[in-house]
Amino acid sequence: MTRQNINRFALIIVGVVVFGLPLVLRSPTYLHILILLYFYAYLTSSWNLVGGFAGVLPLGHSAFIGIGAYASTILSLQYGISPWIGMIVGGILATIVGILIGFPTFKMRGAYFALATIAFGEGIRVMVENIDNLGPLKINGPRGLQIPPTNIGFANYMFAGKEPYYYIILVMLVGVLALTYFISRSKLGYYLNAGGEEPEAAMSLGVNVAQAKLIAMAMSSFLTALAGTFYAQFTLYIHPKSVMSLDLSFEIAFIALIGGRGSIAGPVLGALLLRPVSDFSRIYFGATLPGLHLIIFGTVLILVMIFQPRGLQEPLTRAYNRLLDKIFGGTGQKEITHEYS
Amino acid sequence: MIYILEDAINGVLMGSIYGLTALGLTLIFGVLKVINFAHGSLLMVGMYAAYWSIILTGMHPYVALIIVAPVMYLFGYYLQDIVIKPIFKAQKDVREPITVIIVTTGVWYILDNLTLLIFGPAYRNIQDNPLKGKMLEIGEMFISVPKLWGFVTAVITAAAVYWFLQKTRMGRAIRATSLDREAASLMGINQFKVYNVAFGIGTATAGIAAVTLVPFNNIFPSVGVLFDIKGFIIVVLGGLGSIGGAILGGIIIGLIESIAPQFMTATWTEAIVYGLFLVVLFVKPSGLFGVKYDW
Repeated sequence: MTRQNINRFALIIVGVVVFGLPLVLRSPTYLHILILLYFYAYLTSSWNLVGGFAGVLPLGHSAFIGIGAYASTILSLQYGISPWIGMIVGGILATIVGILIGFPTFKMRGAYFALATIAFGEGIRVMVENIDNLGPLKINGPRGLQIPPTNIGFANYMFAGKEPYYYIILVMLVGVLALTYFISRSKLGYYLNAGGEEPEAAMSLGVNVAQAKLIAMAMSSFLTALAGTFYAQFTLYIHPKSVMSLDLSFEIAFIALIGGRGSIAGPVLGALLLRPVSDFSRIYFGATLPGLHLIIFGTVLILVMIFQPRGLQEPLTRAYNRLLDKIFGGTGQKEITHEYS
Repeated sequence: MIYILEDAINGVLMGSIYGLTALGLTLIFGVLKVINFAHGSLLMVGMYAAYWSIILTGMHPYVALIIVAPVMYLFGYYLQDIVIKPIFKAQKDVREPITVIIVTTGVWYILDNLTLLIFGPAYRNIQDNPLKGKMLEIGEMFISVPKLWGFVTAVITAAAVYWFLQKTRMGRAIRATSLDREAASLMGINQFKVYNVAFGIGTATAGIAAVTLVPFNNIFPSVGVLFDIKGFIIVVLGGLGSIGGAILGGIIIGLIESIAPQFMTATWTEAIVYGLFLVVLFVKPSGLFGVKYDW
């Protein structure tokens, strides 16, 4: 077996396991945890298109989750439009907002960009919290919106069990990972990379850095909004503090940074490592040691930033390659390790 | 009309305290070129330090300054020395390392939740302190006495920091480093020492701000977040790195918060503040007194 086959084989194994898991795992609690894990991996991968490849630090992505969640929920509650269509509407709305945010902010330096995105995210949250009715649309301010679980069925994006949600978010995750893979190997990916690392040098070579970043931002906000609809349909209750909170924006960034931003596997790895920590510490220590998982998050984050500033995917990838080297006696073609592969 | 004047005066007083909370943020940014996301948490730590020193000894709230300010200075000094310095050393060539922003966020999460773990989520305040709820009556206006104390403290602190930066040897080293790291190190300035001191002073001013807040503000583990976001807005408004800008930016925010509720629902003021912040970011990112180069 050659190296390439091994990699392909591993990928197939992982695919079979994740797609077959609900057949074996019957506990709704564990399925719930897994769904949230994929949900965060998906969000982080979408964030990664801007936060990773474009080399900036957006900290207001929960605004897009909120836009997606509110758009589909309002359309389905008030006009009976299927959330699947609402999801696309929300995605388009988020894209427009994302471009509006990106246009003036991308020319700013790191700290200013982070602050501007925080202000945007928080500003949108404050507005939603203060508006009960926007024209004919009922937003319901801080009380949020509840989706009555009456019309169960695929067309209504509503299911009795957790398995359908599991497969929906899994397919979404695979989709965004595939997209990331293709972007990282496309002209756009290289432009983003160059613009993130050395904007002046990239621009002098004729790369339209601002345009590349805007395209990345548009895609990222669209994809993030889709997850908002998923969250609304999964929990059937949304309010500004749940889908638009600053904490959510930060958690997405944390997962990406710990896993390794700018890589394909990083966000998934980050979610895989951090989500169980937060779920299980909440289950077992939630009452006695509140906030324990956030202390762990913070500590891990600092340690990773000091010792592995490119995230945990880097040493793991290296270890995996070394393992393959050992098996094949180092004859395997040395992979060109550029940072964002 | 007299009500608006009363609100305006109280707004200026509260705003100057906001400015004082943001003073350290702007100082640290000016030197390290890094937004310290943990600043609100440092303020929170200062508030708990002040709370316990006042509760345990029964001293006048402002006497706690002699304990809180030095303790916070050392806390900030060693926080920078142990946690943040390694990253600066690893990424010497990066002018504005995003990783440092992230590390300060980690510090924020750890401090807030450690406090939650140790002291619980309870809201605390100092019931029997000589400043609590005191009002100064001028004509028909009522001016909050603890906020007046805070205003005086803010002005004195800002003046002292300004004097320190202008007149002392260390202050000159700090200013030189904030202008050009490499050139300053070539002149024999130990830049990491400068970072430590700047971070220490920034944290100490957060401690001073904490003391001014403790007589009338509730103390709870996430209290810093409110001041954190406000602080970011204030420092950008005033110009990142500018001492006077921070106080003035704080006063502008304080005025908006106190006068705007006369004309609209109070919760909308927050939206106005964010809107103003974004306008400043887009129209004049260097703020009122900032250096153009820095954005």
